[in-house]
Amino acid sequence: MTSEEIQAIFFAECEESLAAAEAGLAACKEGAQDDDTVNAVFRGVHSIKGGAGAFGYTALQAFTHTFETLLSDVRDGTVAITESLIDLMLTALDTLSDHVTAARDSTEPPEDSALQADLTAAMAANAGNTAAPVTAAPEAASTTVETTSADNSSGENTSGDDFDLDFDLDALLDDISGEIGDTPDQPRWEMRLRAHAAAMRNGSEPLLMLREMADLGGTCMVCDISSVPPLDSFEVGTGYFGWSFSFPAEVSEAAVREIFDFVGDDCTLAFGADNAMPDVRYPAVPAKVVAEPAPTSANAAVGPTASAPVEAAPAVNDDHDEGPSARSQQAPPAPPAPGQSIRIELNKLDKLIDAVGELVIAQAMMAQRLSGDGFAATDEMTLIEGLTRDIQESAMAIRAQPIGSVFSRVPRILRELASSTGKHVRLEVSGESTELDKTVIERLGEPLTHLIRNAVDHGIEPADERIAAGKSAEGTLTLSAEHRSGRILIRIGDDGKGIDRDRVLAKAIEKGLVAPEAILTKEEIDLLIFAPGFSTAQQVTNVSGRGVGMDVVRQNVKDLGGRITIESEPGSGTTFTLTLPLTLAISDGMVVNVGDQTLVVPLANVVESLRPEPDEVQGLGANRCMINVRGRFIPVIPLSEAVGAIGATSHPQEGVLIVVETEGAGRAALLVDAICDQRQVVIKSLDTHYRSVEGVAGATILGDGRVALIVDVDSLVSRSLASATPAALAEAA
Amino acid sequence: MTTTTRILTVDDSPSMRALLNHALAGQGFDVSQAEDGMAALDWLAMNEVDVVITDINMPRLDGFGLIERLREGSRHRDRPILVLTTESSEEKKARARAAGATGWIVKPFDPEKLVAAVRRVSH
Repeated sequence: MTSEEIQAIFFAECEESLAAAEAGLAACKEGAQDDDTVNAVFRGVHSIKGGAGAFGYTALQAFTHTFETLLSDVRDGTVAITESLIDLMLTALDTLSDHVTAARDSTEPPEDSALQADLTAAMAANAGNTAAPVTAAPEAASTTVETTSADNSSGENTSGDDFDLDFDLDALLDDISGEIGDTPDQPRWEMRLRAHAAAMRNGSEPLLMLREMADLGGTCMVCDISSVPPLDSFEVGTGYFGWSFSFPAEVSEAAVREIFDFVGDDCTLAFGADNAMPDVRYPAVPAKVVAEPAPTSANAAVGPTASAPVEAAPAVNDDHDEGPSARSQQAPPAPPAPGQSIRIELNKLDKLIDAVGELVIAQAMMAQRLSGDGFAATDEMTLIEGLTRDIQESAMAIRAQPIGSVFSRVPRILRELASSTGKHVRLEVSGESTELDKTVIERLGEPLTHLIRNAVDHGIEPADERIAAGKSAEGTLTLSAEHRSGRILIRIGDDGKGIDRDRVLAKAIEKGLVAPEAILTKEEIDLLIFAPGFSTAQQVTNVSGRGVGMDVVRQNVKDLGGRITIESEPGSGTTFTLTLPLTLAISDGMVVNVGDQTLVVPLANVVESLRPEPDEVQGLGANRCMINVRGRFIPVIPLSEAVGAIGATSHPQEGVLIVVETEGAGRAALLVDAICDQRQVVIKSLDTHYRSVEGVAGATILGDGRVALIVDVDSLVSRSLASATPAALAEAA
Repeated sequence: MTTTTRILTVDDSPSMRALLNHALAGQGFDVSQAEDGMAALDWLAMNEVDVVITDINMPRLDGFGLIERLREGSRHRDRPILVLTTESSEEKKARARAAGATGWIVKPFDPEKLVAAVRRVSH
């Protein structure tokens, strides 16, 4: 593309900008003086100014600069919009149009000095300072590309003497370095620098600057490592290194300074061999509260009280000196004051928690005994009960850790997924300070990772699909944790396409997981993705694995005594909710009677309990039966048979059926005599006190002091059903 | 430099985009264009880039808004972003840096300075 072609684009654009500005001013005249309208006018003029400068139309640029400055004041609200002001601006727009025409046709630009003066007079900034911008503007046009220090003097806020001083100083220093260059003894000059932590923010890379200094001809003499602390007090963000460089005389100090223009005060420079290495800036320096630097100087410059440049100048100077340092001090958020802590061996802690568990049981036993003797409502008992609960909670809290340690790994997982799937996902996290048991946290990582991978791989659509669906190109993953009634709820939500239930059902039928004629609810279809061996990915990806993921997730969550549920809305996303106990030492259980035994069924397995009608029970062989639960047949397992209890009922109608969900064997109905209670039980490991017993997950001590076994529903059901082979049935018959 | 530096230029003015393209493509950079902050976000969602050069005043989403959105996510937190500014006052520089810009290019720009600025921030 040639320069002429680009200029042609520019002039076409000028027409559009003029039309937009004119429409905006017309709207203003009609009374629509809102921000959007004023901004449209400003943008039109601003855009012309940018191009005018680029193509060297000095007169056009000077005029647009004055016009733009006024519009900027109007936009900022420092100049009120009046009828006469709108008329003035409309006149200015006409002249601007003439300027554009003159520039395009290379003719003499229109005479605009009177109008410029009018525009300038209308500015708030010029309450006490009239003609300066008019003369400053053309200067800006011609000098902005020359040097940065010259730029400073042409800024809109009425240059003060300090800028000139800077400029002279630079020139002077250049001269000095030039003189040194003539002396053969001292052909090089030196400087030192230190990059502070903030120099690495915003994509800056001090290494590139060092490299650029080397390209200029600089040589690194010393890298100062004397400030590097011992490893245990090393702060990653702090700039511990300092460098000293020497330059040949022909390299000017201004050229070196310019390299560091972008980072400002975030790199401290010391010119001259006599200056010491700048100090390390440690992040712990208490943040100095400095008012927002930009408005300060703007107010000083444009406010009606700033009558003389003398006042404005120090404000600008402050901005220069304090602004960057204030920012860099704010940059690293002050680290939270570390609470005092001690390290405890985990087994000591577990012993304490174990003892507290005993205390809870003992307290419950005592309460039961005393209530039998008529001492139930004594104040002391209530007090002890409250204290016991407090102690238990405190002890549990010692083992508790914030879930943030698991959540903090998620951004990395997402980054890896982004590079392997090309889907970029924004993460929203809440409740990362929610605490739960260390063991639960440790075992939560794997299922959580699986669910996140699944959400990105299957849930969130590729960017083009998302845009087509009217969503933002970037997907959002929401991760939250909260306490709810003694349990913790962890949600993993995506704003993807939701579960494709037709496909899930088709796949499940194809895999033989459900009968082709089965009528399932939405929820039941959703749950199919947890079935072993289920995978809906058309092609197996290396992200979500090979269809072993989701059933393992559910198993992991179950092992933790938790539950997982799905909410999915086609088109707007899927949310997985994990409900977990706060600790593995205590679990919710249903206390049941079976003959002469009391057993505990973990509540995590329980779906419902029911008393069947006679016609819902179907016999199967001599002593087996099935129960019809809303059209689905579920095997009935008499719990007494499994645990060898004596005197229990064997007729489903006489007892209560507890429908349980198992991992490997689907649903089953456990036949028990009665349900006594539903309560939190302190889990005692049978392995450590006796030995591992198949079908038993552990033991607990009930309020009356009796030991009750906690049923391992999964292994008990699968063992019981496995024995019910045709041969075994025939034998029993 | 072993690979081509990819640059996204964001400006609502077609002539400014053409000028940037002219100055950068001629120096061997791989230049893409977006007409405002929203278009830039959409483009960035599907493409990789090494350096972003953005105008400040744009409709829909302006330059500072774009930088803010990019710095929010982890993907562009350390991405070099240069802003195009018509002023080179310390105040404007301070504002640009506070907004999260890596550096600035003063409009009207000198093609050599533009290229130098890009090289200063790109690996």
